[in-house]
Amino acid sequence: MSVTELTAASLDDEFAHLDEQSKREIRTALLTAVAVPGYQVPFGSREMPVARGWGSGGLQITLSIIGPDDVVKVIDQGDDAGVNAANLRRLIVATTAVQETTDAGAASIIQTRHRVPEQPLGPGQIFVLQVPVPEPLRGVERDMRELRRMHAEADYSRMWVSLYEDIVRHGVVTRTTGYPVLVGGRYVMATTPIPRWDVPKLHQASFLSLFGAGREKRVYAVPPHTSVEPLTFEDVAFEVEQTQGASCLLCEADDTYLVEVPARAAWICSDTDWCSRRRDHLGGETGGVTLKTGRATVGRAKADGITADGATADRVGTGGVAADGVTAKTDRATAGGVAADGVTAKTAGAGGIMVDRATADRVAADGVPAVPARSQRRPSVPGWTLQVDGLTRLFGPVTGCRDVSFAVAPGEAVGIIGESGSGKSTVLRCLAGDLAPTAGSAVLVRHGQCSQEQVRLFELDDTARRVLRIATLAIVYQDPAEGLDLRVSAGGNIAERLTAAGWRHFGRIRSRARSLLERVEVPVDRMDDPVATFSGGMRQRVQLAKAVVNQPALLLLDEPTTGLDASVAAGVLDLIRDLLEETGISAVVVSHDMSVISMLTSRVVVMHRGRVVEGGLTDQLLEDPQHAYSQRLVAAARG
Amino acid sequence: MGYAAARGGAEAIVAAERLVRQVREEGSSPQLGVDQVEERMTLAVDRVMGEAGLWAPELAARALRQAQGDLVEASHLLRAYRSTRPRLARAVTVSSDELEILRRIVPAYRVPSGPQLLGRTLDYVGRLLEVPEPRPATDGATRAAAAEGATAATAAAIATGDASVPDRGAPATPVTQGEPEPPPGQNGSLSLPDRRPRRLLDLLRGQGLAVDRRRCDDPEPYDVLRQPVRPGVPRSARLSTMARAETGALVNLWYRNVLGPDGYIHEITLGEVRHGRLPVRVEHPVTGRPVVIGAVRVTEVEAIESLDGPDEPTDLFDVGYGLCLGHNERKAIAMANLDIALERDQGRSLLEQSVLMTTDGLESSGFLEHLKLPHYVTFRSMIERKLAARQAAAAERDRPDLHETPLDGSRPSEARQEDDEAVPPVAAGAPA
Repeated sequence: MSVTELTAASLDDEFAHLDEQSKREIRTALLTAVAVPGYQVPFGSREMPVARGWGSGGLQITLSIIGPDDVVKVIDQGDDAGVNAANLRRLIVATTAVQETTDAGAASIIQTRHRVPEQPLGPGQIFVLQVPVPEPLRGVERDMRELRRMHAEADYSRMWVSLYEDIVRHGVVTRTTGYPVLVGGRYVMATTPIPRWDVPKLHQASFLSLFGAGREKRVYAVPPHTSVEPLTFEDVAFEVEQTQGASCLLCEADDTYLVEVPARAAWICSDTDWCSRRRDHLGGETGGVTLKTGRATVGRAKADGITADGATADRVGTGGVAADGVTAKTDRATAGGVAADGVTAKTAGAGGIMVDRATADRVAADGVPAVPARSQRRPSVPGWTLQVDGLTRLFGPVTGCRDVSFAVAPGEAVGIIGESGSGKSTVLRCLAGDLAPTAGSAVLVRHGQCSQEQVRLFELDDTARRVLRIATLAIVYQDPAEGLDLRVSAGGNIAERLTAAGWRHFGRIRSRARSLLERVEVPVDRMDDPVATFSGGMRQRVQLAKAVVNQPALLLLDEPTTGLDASVAAGVLDLIRDLLEETGISAVVVSHDMSVISMLTSRVVVMHRGRVVEGGLTDQLLEDPQHAYSQRLVAAARG
Repeated sequence: MGYAAARGGAEAIVAAERLVRQVREEGSSPQLGVDQVEERMTLAVDRVMGEAGLWAPELAARALRQAQGDLVEASHLLRAYRSTRPRLARAVTVSSDELEILRRIVPAYRVPSGPQLLGRTLDYVGRLLEVPEPRPATDGATRAAAAEGATAATAAAIATGDASVPDRGAPATPVTQGEPEPPPGQNGSLSLPDRRPRRLLDLLRGQGLAVDRRRCDDPEPYDVLRQPVRPGVPRSARLSTMARAETGALVNLWYRNVLGPDGYIHEITLGEVRHGRLPVRVEHPVTGRPVVIGAVRVTEVEAIESLDGPDEPTDLFDVGYGLCLGHNERKAIAMANLDIALERDQGRSLLEQSVLMTTDGLESSGFLEHLKLPHYVTFRSMIERKLAARQAAAAERDRPDLHETPLDGSRPSEARQEDDEAVPPVAAGAPA
């Protein structure tokens, strides 16, 4: 018996091409998508009679939700008559016999590629978008595992960095179509390649938008009355396409999305139905047609603060530090969302870790925290202590470190010294979360005025640890490439930490980054150069700036000057000492070099073959080492 | 309007279809019969079934004819056809030990247990374009013999390597003990080779030379058609994906990883290359017992990998596995080598993502070809940004105070928006 014969019996009620099981499955995925706006829901995408990439996702959605009473409109580039639109419409109509229309107002389902109709859509209408590339973050990350994590944790700082770098390099955000948006304050979503012109129409819309990516097997949705905010800094305007002074050759409209007709040096509406309707209207043939375009939506979006903030906020951005601080609050209030949402999302994603919120509050309250003057302790920074007990890490039969215990008092720098292989870096990597300890505990305690907060470092999950490392725990690696993205500018590297902590104001991010870079003596005119073009010493300075930018409670330094020339190392060492002194950040410094330890730390533990052999005040140890190994170390330093 | 010519809408589509139909149905030679395609173009039919993931020789032949010989197009037709069909049942899992071989070679040994059965292969047929065509064998007997599984021809193709080796022609040696007897098919002759020989992996396992990755929990295979794959899926998902992959894509991925700049692949030794028939069983709706409802032909490959990694048992071999519908050895071999490469890679590289996401013929071809669709809305948007960036750069150049205030944080965008009144920060298209 052939496949055809076997399955023939169950196809009596064939409607809309797909079998009923498939349609039900796709509808289930769509319900999930509606329930979690902006989240890409995987679904068992079926092969359709059109090629992958030709609207197979949109077609599956339409065919799964369509009923005999629906009225369908299909457009491609805004054109009902384009070959692709005509082909898809033919398929839909042929298998459903539903009524077709070109009138956006009359359609119950509108399937589209690349455009939202000019005519505002209303409640009850379903807007189906064909999506070639559903992943908005692919430009900044290729690894799907990492992409999944970024969405799960609402970790979009690299996206913000890409916007930052874009402005720095080009003076404008150069993203064209498919502009990334934040949906419902939670998920970053690709708006398919609709032009920026159309993006505001999705914001707080009264209609349902369904997005189908057949090739990549994802559907997602924007339910009615959901916020859809283009990702842009509070003080950088979201710009839609401009066609200054142009109007449609046919209908003379100057408030629609126009496309160029080079041969005629003219413009025409991309929405052909709107254009012809408008012509009819102008000719007086059709009365009663509303000719208010989606422009109105843009206006509304402005009022909501998506775009309008730009003008005022922008001036603020150039107006210097003090002014920034003053207007910051107003700014936030009117913007009403992106930054605040970002912070909230992050806190929520971290499963209630309070550290992040605390830091965010601190940062937000400070406005632009100027780098404090020398030796001036910041009273607002709470005291933190670190207590490490019995830390052990084994590598199979090999001991990385065993039973290491020490404590760091608020504002104190503790050194760990030992030769290569003594286990000191293992200790540091366990504290930073780069290595999982075999046994032991490490507790960060924050001493508030009337409360105490504890973070047990080894019990954090990956997400919580990542959140902790945004602004509570920072590490400076021996190799700057580990702590920096070398392709990104110095300012962009710092912006990565700031945006992760919720900063969304371009001018303030730049001020903060600039003052930090000045502090670490990186020439400000190099601020916008990729770190890859920097010397080793400069890279290490940028890494330091990045590490302290959010004023962490605890800074871990792993052989911070080992890779540098002696003269360069001395300068960096001075800088670290001054920074620690100024900021009151507690630190753990790992080095094999007694001079580094003596310069930076007040107390020290000596490690040998994975164990702590001696500990005490750094000065004392230098004067009077007890353990034979310590004596050798000190002797070596003196020699 | 230059572009208008390319978008005549519905009428243009109908006209294009008419032209396609002309090639299919008209012309000076007789129309190609589906039975001819099925019978004569077996490798193409097999490949289409494999890449479509559907065993239906007649439909595949029909698809090939309709697609004018375009294999990806034909697979698409077959897959899209299946989208319209419900799933009626799930086949019961069969062990590939039940494979009844039509061809089997074991490059790893001169004389393996079981036969070296060359079977029908183009491997040693001279690549000589036959011009003029040789006289066709017209008698029915020869034609029948050419069909797979026909006894005389297949038996004649046996090549056990060396006639003096005692193992030859002794299918009842300990090698086959405990194995199910070959079914009493068309022939029960003892002089014919063992049709279900033990596999080389069994031998390696017996010698304690192979990693044993058999697992006891026996999970249901991952259904790649219902749950989209992404990195981190179980092995069954990777195998299913590769089994449906486009042959050329898989071969290229293999070759690229052997020879390319970012290679992850270590070349394997082939243990088994088999082509044969597997029964398809479903549970009987009434009795609940499995019943055979048909058979599919598959190509099966075992690829022996020599382990040499720092965290691997270097005194052992491991084995990669490849299996696809129809006779398609290139694909099964690439698949087996990629399988073991993925197993060893353990997600360290992005090889798994490449295998899972980039080898489907419909997806890659469709996405490539979608570039032919109109893109003038997006292109207009791109031009607009180029001009905007240019304008921003010009504003930056013209700024009088550029060198006086390098530290004030002004960036081109800020400067532009502040200095240049002609460009509003929010342009809702053309100014009203």
